Amino acid sequence: MKKIKKFNLEGIFPALVTPFKDQAEIDEKALRSLINYVIDEGVAGVVPVGTTGEFVYMSNEERKKVLEIVVDEVNARVPVIAGTGASSTRETIELSKHAKDAGADAVLVVSPYYLRPADKGAYQHFYELVQTTDIPIILYNIPQCTGGFISREVVEDLAQLSPIIGLKDSSGHLPYTLELLEMVGDKISILCGHDEVVLPALAAGAKGAILASANVIPDIWIKLHEAVKKGNLKTARKLQMNAQKLARIFCRYGGAVAVKAALKMMGRDVGKTRRPLVSGGILTLETKEEIRMELQRLGKIKLKQAEVKLAPSKVLEERFEDLGVSSKQIKQLKLPVGEASAGERLEKTYVYLLAGPKESPVGYAWSRALANPKSGYEALTAIVEPNLAVKPITLIVPAVEIQNMRQASIVYGPVQSAVGKAVSDTVEEKGFPPKAVHDYAVIVRVFVHPEALNRQLLYANTYDAVKMALLRAFGFWRKE
Amino acid sequence: MEKKKIWPKGVIPALVTPFTKKFEVDQKALQRLIDYVIENGVTGVVPCGTTGEFVNMTNEERMKVVEATIDHVNGRVPVYAGTGDAGTKKAIEFTKHAEDAGADAALVVSPFYFKPTDKELYEHYVEIADAVNLPIILYNIPQVTGVEIPWWVVEALAEIDNIVGIKDSSGNLPYMMALFEKLYGKISIICGHDEVAMAALAAGADGLILASANLIPDVWKQIYEAVKKGDLEEARRLQRKAQTLVRIVVRQGGGLAVKAGLNMMGLEVGTARRPLMTGGELRYEDEELLRIHLEAFGKLRRKPLEIEVKPGVTVKSEFAGAVPQTPSKISDFMLKTAEAFASPGTADVAHIDIQVGWKTGPVGKTVDEALANPRSGHEPTIVKVGGRQTKPRTLLVPTVTVRTKEQAELVYVHAMSGLAKAIADSVDDGLLPKNALDDLVMIANVFVHPTASNPKRVNINNYKAMRYAIRKALEGRPTLEELMERKESARHPFRYEP
Repeated sequence: MKKIKKFNLEGIFPALVTPFKDQAEIDEKALRSLINYVIDEGVAGVVPVGTTGEFVYMSNEERKKVLEIVVDEVNARVPVIAGTGASSTRETIELSKHAKDAGADAVLVVSPYYLRPADKGAYQHFYELVQTTDIPIILYNIPQCTGGFISREVVEDLAQLSPIIGLKDSSGHLPYTLELLEMVGDKISILCGHDEVVLPALAAGAKGAILASANVIPDIWIKLHEAVKKGNLKTARKLQMNAQKLARIFCRYGGAVAVKAALKMMGRDVGKTRRPLVSGGILTLETKEEIRMELQRLGKIKLKQAEVKLAPSKVLEERFEDLGVSSKQIKQLKLPVGEASAGERLEKTYVYLLAGPKESPVGYAWSRALANPKSGYEALTAIVEPNLAVKPITLIVPAVEIQNMRQASIVYGPVQSAVGKAVSDTVEEKGFPPKAVHDYAVIVRVFVHPEALNRQLLYANTYDAVKMALLRAFGFWRKE
Repeated sequence: MEKKKIWPKGVIPALVTPFTKKFEVDQKALQRLIDYVIENGVTGVVPCGTTGEFVNMTNEERMKVVEATIDHVNGRVPVYAGTGDAGTKKAIEFTKHAEDAGADAALVVSPFYFKPTDKELYEHYVEIADAVNLPIILYNIPQVTGVEIPWWVVEALAEIDNIVGIKDSSGNLPYMMALFEKLYGKISIICGHDEVAMAALAAGADGLILASANLIPDVWKQIYEAVKKGDLEEARRLQRKAQTLVRIVVRQGGGLAVKAGLNMMGLEVGTARRPLMTGGELRYEDEELLRIHLEAFGKLRRKPLEIEVKPGVTVKSEFAGAVPQTPSKISDFMLKTAEAFASPGTADVAHIDIQVGWKTGPVGKTVDEALANPRSGHEPTIVKVGGRQTKPRTLLVPTVTVRTKEQAELVYVHAMSGLAKAIADSVDDGLLPKNALDDLVMIANVFVHPTASNPKRVNINNYKAMRYAIRKALEGRPTLEELMERKESARHPFRYEP
């Protein structure tokens, strides 16, 4: 066997994004800056041109160029593991030879995809690479992209070859990871590539992790790795749970798109992903805002305390004037009104509720609020879920400006369904006069904080507040 | 090899098992259903199959339903009893019972839950075949059982005298082609996947055992006969016409969907046993669409409908209403409202809030006010088609602020033409009364997501949502009873964190 310089494959490695300018040119400056950022944070090495690096959208020349920039900028401070996988064996060898010549420390080689070989072809693919290239090789299993696992039997055989030093498993399928640890854990380093299961994988014996989210939160993963090494599982669990939502978004809702969006929010513009991946596609606008909130929570970006204009303290009856119902009318017609709040801090909900017969000014206001919406305060009907609207007909009018799709999705989600459920439960509990169920219209102004995070709490608080407001508005109807 | 003693063929419905409101087997309803399908020309019936919810029935119930079916069919057509089970012992017990009860054959689904290997599958069927003299039809439905009966196992089983056929519900045509290659003319090969039925017949299938043959047995009979005559053009046309209906049946709940359809047709069969429920696998929107497609086949009877447009003014219409959705009289147009959601697509879904009212009431007043004071980003517009306003006069209001030209085009062109077509169709079908169109106005708030991009889908989804919304508003749905029944199991898709 040829002599190959090896290194200890252990620790946290970011799967670097490839910064682009206008989806076209490689943004060398942004790439160099990103490398310095993650190295300063203490990563054990870097992995350019992997899945997160959009290798599959890059020409071979671009792949080589990015690697050369990375090797140059890293300047031997940490190992560089070059992503050199391709569908064909021939290209994989070409790219891996280049990686060796360019000065990479190892190559990360994804299993063949699209035309998928059986075990024999998969083994031969890596075997030929070993035969023709003098560089340490890390196998890369990511069935959600390639369409299939590298079978454990193939890994067993490949682990006998000395240039094969590790395997990155991004499947997130722990029985597979454990099977590898059992069979080849003493021969090669098993690395975790699935951000959502880093802790269990490390605890089970994985030596490290190559992660998309390590572009964004390398510090958390480094601490987690150290905690597991020291046997401090309690700390490790806390760290994993802290990163979990971000990890889930990166793994499931957009990979590179999401990582690039996050880096941009942190002031590190790495451009957009190449087509066909677009923001607003797999990464929805709603989820993108969730990333921002998570980065705020983790202290990665400054908490931009949104300016929230709490509705000025007003008499309840005066809160519907902009909708066309005056306090005078409310008093004269004895229209039921009620207000209530529930919860605390960011998830506190305020509710101002007005009801009245459809032929009263409330019916007009109900109709008008829908027909003539005000941007940022668009009204929507109360439903328990789509295609299940409630009776009495109920309209939700936001009391705080809706500024983004995430906030909209909170109103059009936990808030909407909580109002729907509270109204329909009140019907069931006979909290409305029987006539009102069919003949009344209800308008609910709801205040929820734009930075509210916990949807379950928001649902519960909105539900409680609406029920209380309804009780206050209608509570004594039996006596009349 | 000798020719098999029976050769199942033709169109055979996989009967639903009717249940009462208390979820007991409803024998009367079963009898009505059997008469309906036999009158419509079926060549056999299958009680206690997958569509019959056999897996959610007790042993006694299964036997009772098989007996009741044989009894009521009374020799008019063959009865193929569903007798499969996860374990061999129980499958034998059911098959023996079917034989004793006088069934013509047993349809035996492959074992499920524990997924047997081909050796175990083979032995399972050999033991059943040995235990009875009854002809056996193998039944491959991997989407439910989790296991496919490999063609080489079928090949071996076909050598057994009383194994006379296989029903393949996989919809996997390469699999079926292998069956034809290996077994054509040796055993009856029956297609059990409604979406590929015509293709399977053209490729050589002997017959069809279908869930949707409860609903449209006559259509399947025409398709079957057209293929037999070599009139593929006609068979294709009918299959295409039935495709949406059968897709709903196959993919959105099977027996649950069939039951919803039969009920709407007035053939009351109750609903599926829990945990299956309308609003789950059969989404509320599927039920609306199923209804529209049953109408297209004339399966809903046209009935007189009285519509009181305003107090004292009643117009008469005729409408193919559904049971129990459509009341015989609709009144109170002060402020009728409804909401409807239609998919598929992620960003291209449609969600409509609708108001319907008489021209001089609050809705009419609001339309004029909104037009007089348009707000930026939410400019309302009167729905027009070919430059002419639709009747009733309808205001389209964008629910989401329109910020870009692309968004504006999706809302004001593509969603709007969907709305216009939905209004026209709702007039044509008789729900919006032709002689009172000038007295009514409507307002439709149209949700088009800012990242929507597929104009055709936005158009179609908005057509569907508007059509459903008009029906729901006029029919007063969901009714209070439905709301009470459905609210606890409701699951709003955006209630949860990503």
